[in-house]
Amino acid sequence: MSSVRERRRRKARMDAVRFVAALAITVVFLFPVYWLFMTAFKSPEEIFSNPPTWFPSRIHWVNFRDLAEDGDLRSIWNSVVIASVSTVLAMLLGTMAAYSLARFRTGGEKLAVWAISVRMVPPIVLAFPLFLMFASLGLVDTYEALIAIYVTINLPYVIWMMRGFIEDIPRELEDSALIDGCSRWQALVRVVFPMARTGLVATAVFAFVYAFNEFAFAIVMTRLEVVTFPVQITHHFQPMSTFWGRIGAMSIFGCLPVFFMIIAMNRFLVRGLSGGALKG
Amino acid sequence: MLVADRAPRRVGAWRLRSELFADRHFKHVLLLPALLFLLVLGTLPVVYNLVLSFQDVTMQAENHAFSGLLNYRRLAGDARFWGAWQHTFLITGIALPIQLVLGLALAAFFLGDVPGKRIFIALLVLPTVISPIVAGASWRLMFDNQFGPVNHMIGWFTSSPPLILWTTDPAFVYPAIIILEVWAHTPFVFLLLLAALTQIDRGVLDAAEIDGASAWTKFRRVMLPAIRPVLMTVVLIRFVDLMRLFDFVYALTQGGPGTRSETISLYTYVLGFQQFATSYTGAVAFVSIAFMSVVLLVMLRRAAIGR
Amino acid sequence: MKLRSYVCALTLVVMAAAAMAQTPNAGQRALEEAKKYSGQTLNITWPAGVGALDAKAYTVPIWEKATGVKVNVIETPIADMFAKVTAEHRARTGAFDVVSIVPSWLADMAIAGVIEPLDPFVKKFGFAQELQGLEPAYRDNQMRWDGKIYGIPDDGDLLVLYYRKDLFADPANRSEFRAKYGYDLAPPKTWEQFADIGNFFTAKFAPNIYGAGMIRRGTLLQYFFQERFRNAGGRYFDPQAMKATVNGDIGLKVLTGMMNDQKFMPPGSQDWGIPESLNGWLSGKLAMTLWWPPVGRWSEGLQAGEKSMAFVPKSQIAGKVGYALPPGGRPELALGWSLAVASTSKKKELAYLFIQFVNSEQTSIHRVQLPYSLRDPFRASHYTSPEYRKLWPTAGDYLDILKQGANTGLIDLSIRNTFQYEEALARALQRASAGENPKTCLDDLAREWDAITERTGVKEQREAYRVWASNPNAYPH
Repeated sequence: MSSVRERRRRKARMDAVRFVAALAITVVFLFPVYWLFMTAFKSPEEIFSNPPTWFPSRIHWVNFRDLAEDGDLRSIWNSVVIASVSTVLAMLLGTMAAYSLARFRTGGEKLAVWAISVRMVPPIVLAFPLFLMFASLGLVDTYEALIAIYVTINLPYVIWMMRGFIEDIPRELEDSALIDGCSRWQALVRVVFPMARTGLVATAVFAFVYAFNEFAFAIVMTRLEVVTFPVQITHHFQPMSTFWGRIGAMSIFGCLPVFFMIIAMNRFLVRGLSGGALKG
Repeated sequence: MLVADRAPRRVGAWRLRSELFADRHFKHVLLLPALLFLLVLGTLPVVYNLVLSFQDVTMQAENHAFSGLLNYRRLAGDARFWGAWQHTFLITGIALPIQLVLGLALAAFFLGDVPGKRIFIALLVLPTVISPIVAGASWRLMFDNQFGPVNHMIGWFTSSPPLILWTTDPAFVYPAIIILEVWAHTPFVFLLLLAALTQIDRGVLDAAEIDGASAWTKFRRVMLPAIRPVLMTVVLIRFVDLMRLFDFVYALTQGGPGTRSETISLYTYVLGFQQFATSYTGAVAFVSIAFMSVVLLVMLRRAAIGR
Repeated sequence: MKLRSYVCALTLVVMAAAAMAQTPNAGQRALEEAKKYSGQTLNITWPAGVGALDAKAYTVPIWEKATGVKVNVIETPIADMFAKVTAEHRARTGAFDVVSIVPSWLADMAIAGVIEPLDPFVKKFGFAQELQGLEPAYRDNQMRWDGKIYGIPDDGDLLVLYYRKDLFADPANRSEFRAKYGYDLAPPKTWEQFADIGNFFTAKFAPNIYGAGMIRRGTLLQYFFQERFRNAGGRYFDPQAMKATVNGDIGLKVLTGMMNDQKFMPPGSQDWGIPESLNGWLSGKLAMTLWWPPVGRWSEGLQAGEKSMAFVPKSQIAGKVGYALPPGGRPELALGWSLAVASTSKKKELAYLFIQFVNSEQTSIHRVQLPYSLRDPFRASHYTSPEYRKLWPTAGDYLDILKQGANTGLIDLSIRNTFQYEEALARALQRASAGENPKTCLDDLAREWDAITERTGVKEQREAYRVWASNPNAYPH
């Protein structure tokens, strides 16, 4: 039928338009990222050229090779470990707490505000007392210290975000599960978690990003063993020596964990399981 | 509102009692681990700072004797402190709405069928993923009046590249900071709102379509209210994070020229990290937190009225 | 008579023998003494990035091999060095043994008890003679506080006037300049001459070449002001009342002069930080600039093959650079580095021995010549080293100027809460740079300085200032 063909043609046109629009948006947003990565390949003269050098004349791969020395790669690894563990913990504890707040209003609004107040504190202010605390336990410059700190700072964010996502899920689903004989824990794990999958992924992404890129606590709590990615990068930012080549190379590597995380989790961002849940 | 209330009557009294017991403890057990972390590693240091603020610990001397309101009196007369708050509120007040609108628009756009959606979404999140320190330094290069592309690109539309000193001209430092901030955190709003919009129950949307609602009405009347909790939370989190803005300002302008663009976080850094005026920093921090909490409570109350 | 000449001869022999016995080899001695600590580990903080290379790549391997003492080089970003060292001290962790500090921090750190007096160690390990070999400006001004040695100067930083010899020697330029201004074109002796020369070159060669350009943004700007202000006869405080006098006539003249100089500097150079000014100079865009010593070496492209120095732009002006003292003749000994021992260290003697080794004649002479080194000559022997003088054709002139500058140089302000004063000064300068009325900026600055003095304690600060001002290189005489 011609109307079917018409509809298909219209859809194809709409798709093309949407694609071009998406491309345009992406180009605008990613131009600074492109600039940063290009800077990694430029010579100092090209970085400071007028008019600006839009594309470097040569690709200096040497900066990537150098990452393996000088602890640059190791710092990325440290950050990956610390960010992963602290994110998993924060998501676990935070989502549980969020459920408590969402369904039971435990502690009321006051508790929620108190939780977020922890995130309000400028890190410098928390850094020194925490440093004293961990120093007395001999835990400065360890994985444990930073993991614990990042869990703490991410918890308010996770609690609030997941509370929002959980409140978006209609209660009836859990109630019917309970009536069907599930325990509360089972209801939580089997009903709520899957339904909130999208929210979980989105929240986790930024919790990870925060822990990965966090600088203030990291600079105070690390010396040698557990130097993280942001601290290591500042080594290349010294007044007399800004090493854009290394900075760019490290940044590219630093983006990869999250980038792949998102691609992998992307299917959760597509409309899925939530359809049809209420039909029964 | 316990589920036990709505359970079928065949549930015996014993089961009722044990469920009540489980309920009461369930909600606390869920909360406890998080609570512990927040108390020990979050609130304890704040209390420590509060105690410090009533002492006189400075760079020269660790004087832990009670010194009364010494630091608070200084705070009241500290023009730089109040100025820092003004700057912080200004940046927040402008950047937050822009991020919100842009993020929402992007989320709505990517809700539909876009070829290659996955890749686009993954790419668009990159600005938030890049380390703020690196982003700040990179943008500083971009804003450079001679070597940076920003002025040159403006020059494509004007007769010649303008000589805008983005990071030292008082008229341009705020736009520079706000541009960077919007660029870096719109993806945050975008992804979270997209997640929320994706989670909306299909049934609700279908019902709206059957009623013959237009796309815009559907969006405004059905989808936005449906994601209200997440939307409010995103606004809240961005608000709190903007109040703490440090990295971008430090990288672009270092609070300059003078203290024109100094945020409260930057001032706290100068006090605590460079000058080691420990007790005074404690006072500054405490007043800041109290201040922000009040603003927050007011905001929440107004949002709750609509709940 | 015979007795007298006999006694003379005997005295001479005894003195010669004593001198020979004390033949400075403090570095070797330090290594020997440290051997008994073999197997232990030392933690040292060093400026991060390229600045750490002279330790990581050169000093530490030699030390570890000779003594068996392992060294952890804790690279610390310069902006965080003060905070980290003080925080570790406050927490009594004992995590650092050797700490790198900027000499102007000495007063604050010594008063707060963060660093350890080193006199007993200097005596025990016979370092006094080699310490004498430090260039007087650094030795007599940056080492002691309250009569005790707290930090060993390890870097001869100062601001040098670099100028383009070729432009200054060009006959056409010379005759035109003479015709216009009435005196010969030469490195400026006063800031008025600096402005004349700057205007001349900019008028003639812009936009290819400008008269001058230098760092104009951020906190480093305040060193340029400190130098110019004191050369003009300015004083920071009234020593009796302990009130700031920066906003007097001299201060105003200096600040206005600095702002006026902007006119012949490249457009947009109010924005210049280190990378931009470095690039401006090395690309040949400027006729003059004021910078630290490394630029002398970098102008000649000495670091060219060194991978770790790839951030330095390629020099277009090798062989064309001349060296002079900044106008006024008394350069600011801006920043620099000293080595100190943390007072909470559990290995103070070992830490000291490392410092003695690093700073000794035998080691330091090599360290300052490394192509990737950011350490500049700071010992008398460095300036006369035949090796160094051969590094490039005019290296001898370069070293002579460095030496002269070190002798006539002016040290950074160093009293209680120095950071607060410096920070306020930097902000006032930025405000003026952004176009505010210079007088207002300076008046506000003076008020702020007085407030800081009040908070610090007028009596204590007066004493600290007196101590600082009594240093031979605090003010020009």
